[in-house]
Amino acid sequence: MFELLGTRIMAGVVALSMLLFSSFQGNDPQLGAIKHYSSSSTLYLSGELLSAFNNDFASIFASSAPIPVYFKLNIKSGNRTVVSQQLTHLVNFNPATGIYVLRKDGESEVLRTSSVTQTIKEISKYKFSVPYQSSWGLISINIQAEMPLVRLEEKGKELDLMVLWKYKKPSAKIQIDLRKAQ
Amino acid sequence: MPKLGMRTRIILLFIFVSIGGLVLLNNVFQVKHNDIHNSLGKMELSSRLREIRLFSQEDSLKAETLMKEFNSTKAAVNVALGDSRIATSVVLFLIIVVSSTIFIFVICRLSKPLKELKRATEQIRQGDFSVHLPETGIPEMRELKNSFNVMSRELETTQTRLLVAEKEMIWKDLSRILAHEIKNPLTPIQLVIQRLEERLESDCDQIRELLPESISIISQEVENLQLLAQDFSNYAKVNQPNTEELNPALSIREIVKSYVQNYQINLELSDQLTIKFDKTHFYQVITNILQNAIDASEPDKAIYIRLYKERSYAVLSIKDLGKGIDSKDLPRIFEPYFSKKSKGTGLGLALVKRLCEANGAIIRVKSKPDEGSEFTLIMEDTDK
Repeated sequence: MFELLGTRIMAGVVALSMLLFSSFQGNDPQLGAIKHYSSSSTLYLSGELLSAFNNDFASIFASSAPIPVYFKLNIKSGNRTVVSQQLTHLVNFNPATGIYVLRKDGESEVLRTSSVTQTIKEISKYKFSVPYQSSWGLISINIQAEMPLVRLEEKGKELDLMVLWKYKKPSAKIQIDLRKAQ
Repeated sequence: MPKLGMRTRIILLFIFVSIGGLVLLNNVFQVKHNDIHNSLGKMELSSRLREIRLFSQEDSLKAETLMKEFNSTKAAVNVALGDSRIATSVVLFLIIVVSSTIFIFVICRLSKPLKELKRATEQIRQGDFSVHLPETGIPEMRELKNSFNVMSRELETTQTRLLVAEKEMIWKDLSRILAHEIKNPLTPIQLVIQRLEERLESDCDQIRELLPESISIISQEVENLQLLAQDFSNYAKVNQPNTEELNPALSIREIVKSYVQNYQINLELSDQLTIKFDKTHFYQVITNILQNAIDASEPDKAIYIRLYKERSYAVLSIKDLGKGIDSKDLPRIFEPYFSKKSKGTGLGLALVKRLCEANGAIIRVKSKPDEGSEFTLIMEDTDK
């Protein structure tokens, strides 16, 4: 709880400071509305990150270090967490060929493309499939995106890519009544 | 907006200059960072190197390593630039917040004892000299508070001394007046008694002839003494007024009834007015002023009493054409024991003023020597 409060205060201070005193553009990532549909036992959730990789990420991908993006899913029924999952999308660039290789959790197919635009488009999308029980009733779904520290082997140092998101962790929330969903 | 002191101005100036300087420095940093960022964005190595035909695998590996190193450096510089720009703005923001907080704290600490001093000065102005300030704070402030405390103690002592002196003076005045007023009737009584004693020794038979006159004198002087006692008593106990609505014209006519046979009194009274006044007090006020007017006038000179409405007030004027009051005495005529008459305690007009104040009325006087005096009573007309 304190960690969450601290993160929010820090994000607020950073946002206000930058608004007042900085010309740093960076990115202002947002998670779009969560789309959902359900079968008799599985809940499918999908959506995408918006305005997250437009600035500076081309040069970050070009560093050829594997760049991961996390999508964290948390489903609560009342106060009880019933599902906690994480998807990791990984972008790897080969400077010799100029090809971006994108691996997405839960998808067996690997995307190879020379287009940074397509890479950004694909890395921004996520899909969760969650087995559920109708007894959960009204559930609260929270999805949050973030990036971990990235190690640059050539430089022997770690980069905090959240700088490029101005330390904001975009998130989206939705509530679904599973009894009605059936 | 409160006026700022010199110290506050200096602190404000310092804060604004330092914060202004930091904001300016930050702007320079931001511009330079932008330039570096833009230049970095234009640096491209990978695509150019890929265009070069490399003949050996060793060359390809070298080129790939070169590209990776270049791109890693570019990414690291990009992130570091972003990080430093965010850090600069956050640090600047925190400096402003912290320095403003410290500034407000310092100002409050500085202004608190000054406010205490202002409040204490206000108390002194209202006559409360018992106020003492705790001698705390910075040395200059302690010194100032100490001086203030010394001053208030001295004022308190002086006030006590003045009160004692004033009381003493009042008692002396009162004793002098009382002695004088009591002595006046006692002298004729003593003379009458002496004359009776002399006749008793020399011509006992004639005593009977002298007795009626002597008794009359003694009786008159005793009556004077009683009146004197009554005057003092009346002045000492001005009761809480028992106000009632009364028609001033009717009351004045009743009061004047006993005077009109001996004196020329002209009445011009509006009957439409109603005032709130204690009836006994009203009687005392009118008779006192009227008696003064009679005492000041020649028997053949008229006295004019007018009652009229002016805006929402009932105005009563009692004017005589007597000897008037000297301009230097005019401000003192309502003071207790001030009198220019040969007879009287000097309490009459003082009592009039006290009664008027008790009943919410205002009394004014205009007078010119040898032309006469005019006393004006202004009372609220309740019959609006």
